[in-house]
Amino acid sequence: MAIDDLISYFREDLFFADFIAETKEDALDKLVEKFVDAGIIKNKELVSEMLHRRESIGSTGIGKGIAVPHGRTTAAPNLTIAFAKVSDGLEWDSLDGQPVHLIFVVVAPPFEENNLYLPVLGRLVEFLSKESNRDRLKDVTSYDEFKELLTE
Amino acid sequence: MRNQLEKLVALQDLDLMIQELKEVQELGFEVKTESSETLKNARDEMTAKIPRPLLGNYERLRKRYKRAIVPIKDDKCLGCFMKLPTYLLTHMQRDEQVITCEGCGRILYWLM
Ligand SMILES: [Zn+2]
Repeated sequence: MAIDDLISYFREDLFFADFIAETKEDALDKLVEKFVDAGIIKNKELVSEMLHRRESIGSTGIGKGIAVPHGRTTAAPNLTIAFAKVSDGLEWDSLDGQPVHLIFVVVAPPFEENNLYLPVLGRLVEFLSKESNRDRLKDVTSYDEFKELLTE
Repeated sequence: MRNQLEKLVALQDLDLMIQELKEVQELGFEVKTESSETLKNARDEMTAKIPRPLLGNYERLRKRYKRAIVPIKDDKCLGCFMKLPTYLLTHMQRDEQVITCEGCGRILYWLM
């Protein structure tokens, strides 16, 4: 799987270059709401419950200012990723203790035809492990720029 | 108050998390050592709220198919792709009851 595949899981209506949230919990709830607004999920409560539970067993803050909340839910029709940039930074109990500026919410159905959830999640983490990618993401202001960066 | 179907769906979501705990950890995510215990306790709490026959059916289906609850798409069960009869679909939307597929027996979930 090439990195250009990664962009196909993102959507313009789930791209937020200037996202505002008070706390980690607030950010998760607001982003789930965005999945509802985008018409991807109907049952907000189920998805919120899953994401909050995931945080309770270990933070999805992977360090360097990045969080990747993720999980499978019966309420999701397909593998979708939302991106949100928080300029002020949010406390996320990250491994390195740093506040989070870039959030990627990965939501997957219980089963997909090609079983791509874990490979895509891994690919995303790999992409984010590169300092140059992180730096450029922090400067992204439009979905077109974001798309360009991910398809390079 | 959650209906029976929502309780079952929440249970399946939790089971999916339990199943992939190790894989997620291998990708570099933090998974606390007590996670299995935490999730097991959450599961016990959930199953206590589900009527026994329904829970029994869920567990049997899970053993047989891995995924006990499947969505409906284009009026088809996404477990076995059988087209579902109209009466079943209207019944389901109206009552939000737990409905199973006549073809494979899986519990059906209406996504949208
Ligand atoms: Zn079926």
